[in-house]
Amino acid sequence: MSTRHSHLPFAILLMLAWRNIWRHRRRTLITLSSIAVGFALSVLMIGIGDGSHNSMIRNAIKLGEGHLTVQPRGYIEAPANHKYLADGKALQATLDTLDVAGRVEPRIALQVLASTASNSVGAQLEGLSPGGDQRVETLEPQLVDGEWFAAGDERGIVIGDGMAGKLKAKVGSKVVLMAGKQGGDSQAQLGRVRGIFDSKVDELDDYLILSDIQFARYFLAGEGADPELAPVTRFAVFLDDPDSIADWKARLKPALESNDVVVFDWQEMMPQLVQFVMVDDAGNYIFLVLILIMVVFGILNTVLMSVLERTREFGLLRALGLSRRQLLLLVFCESLLLSLLAVVIGWLVGGGTHWWFSTHGIDMEALVGGGGTAMMGTFMDPVIYTELSWDRVVQLTLIIFAATLGSGIYPALKAARVTPVEALRT
Amino acid sequence: MALLTLQGIGKHYRQGELEVKALDGIDLTIEEGEFAALVGPSGSGKTTLLNVIGGLDAPSAGRIQLNGTDITTLKESQLSDFRLFQLGFVFQAYNLVPVLSALENVELVMVLQDRHAKDRRERAEHYLKLVGLEKVMRRRPSALSGGQQQRVAVARALAAGPRLVLADEPTANLDSENATALLDIMHRLSHEEKTTFIFSTHDVRVMERAERIITLRDGRIVSDDQAERRQHEATV
Repeated sequence: MSTRHSHLPFAILLMLAWRNIWRHRRRTLITLSSIAVGFALSVLMIGIGDGSHNSMIRNAIKLGEGHLTVQPRGYIEAPANHKYLADGKALQATLDTLDVAGRVEPRIALQVLASTASNSVGAQLEGLSPGGDQRVETLEPQLVDGEWFAAGDERGIVIGDGMAGKLKAKVGSKVVLMAGKQGGDSQAQLGRVRGIFDSKVDELDDYLILSDIQFARYFLAGEGADPELAPVTRFAVFLDDPDSIADWKARLKPALESNDVVVFDWQEMMPQLVQFVMVDDAGNYIFLVLILIMVVFGILNTVLMSVLERTREFGLLRALGLSRRQLLLLVFCESLLLSLLAVVIGWLVGGGTHWWFSTHGIDMEALVGGGGTAMMGTFMDPVIYTELSWDRVVQLTLIIFAATLGSGIYPALKAARVTPVEALRT
Repeated sequence: MALLTLQGIGKHYRQGELEVKALDGIDLTIEEGEFAALVGPSGSGKTTLLNVIGGLDAPSAGRIQLNGTDITTLKESQLSDFRLFQLGFVFQAYNLVPVLSALENVELVMVLQDRHAKDRRERAEHYLKLVGLEKVMRRRPSALSGGQQQRVAVARALAAGPRLVLADEPTANLDSENATALLDIMHRLSHEEKTTFIFSTHDVRVMERAERIITLRDGRIVSDDQAERRQHEATV
């Protein structure tokens, strides 16, 4: 028996596969079009998802406590007004020596009862540094009445329109802010409404009172803090490069953490938002799976039809000396080429769609009919620009490629099972 | 010298409760260089016999020695390689790969044999010239007539340098003129290339060109003019 074996060079295999997929040009083009449209939809969905999530996260960080937060240990588990960083000056000095690439904003956050002659509501008082806080930059443009309090304003407060409604307060109204003390007593300060904002985020509009940090510091002094040490309840760290959170966290933790002080990143500070993004992402993936099913059946239909139509030809090839393995490779190669074409065309269409929406954006406010884009204590920008990271590009490409390639397995196995004599009888 | 020896070849299969004997105790010897026709009515076992000889179908009984190899003992992958290097096939129809030109179709088997590109191109062109298709060798099968397609199949079968070419009713779909032309080409090349041909046919005109006629009926050989002649020569 001869030891010579059948040999099918890869170039010939590719050439045969390429010509085979274009036998039915129209069918192949329809399949590729449906995959490209599906792919474009997936890219758009993922792009909108990532764009809106990132927008929400950026705004949550801006409105919240920064990319990183330095705060009293135990505060997040059980917030209380007596939990504060007594020596804010020393911590600020340490932060200064670390030369953080971004902004460090000292803040005082306290749970208070806000009262006017008409009503009383629970509220959070936020004392902000006069040097320009992210929150000021975000909310000042959303003033609907009055003006922002000036730096060093020891009585001025700014409230949301929701709270103004509940308190029946206007610009110039007096509001008494009362806070509980550790010993069970209470203390109060008188604030005067300088301005009213409408952020469209109910959690902020109904609950937040903003003041100069000095005003809030009176309450910490009431708890026994030494104002000379610039006590705060936290430092919000806003990094210039959001991708450097892990690096900066690793540098701040050993420098600042102690029995009394802890450093958190925004995910630890806002676990609900992280969960919301995960759940929403899962929804997007379900959509992606539906698209993939469509894509897989598209490829399966094309390759399987092509295999069933060519049974006799496969019999001929097997009779001529093509091995089962080579026949399997040939059909698999057809799926491979179809998958590659699908991914390339999919990216051309999907990438083009993404580019357009990443440049022109999608007016979400118009889409939701002016109902606002607030959720989870934050809000989406009114115009969302699709975002797609390289990780997503690789992920989507691999998913679509694997799905399309996987759909070629069954037809390839079916072709390889052909026995020459039965195939030639067809 | 015997190229092919069949001993007690049977091919049985069940059709419902009935056992069909497609081949029943076939003994046959084919010498090198013979141009032999298998004839007989439909269902007599011609195609089954060719399939069994070509290793496309396994016999239920008996042994087949082809060029010194008992092909009934070969595994499927070995049979595939055996067909590639030892056998050429011409089928009744749909002989060619539609996405390849005539030249590429002839080259395909030589590609599988791992022949050098220059060698296979020269051989393919040579054999296409021998079958008179030098002007249409770049055309795909869809642009060739039925007769031309069969001639490409003959060129492909011979270009790969087989010891034996099996042709299953190669003229069945051809008109009289094309059938005669194809048989003339096969006959001429059989002599020029010293290649053994076994072909099945119903066609009387085709039978007339055969040097040996083996008649099958109900899966048995009922006459073999060459064998009878040899037997006669031996007794005289």
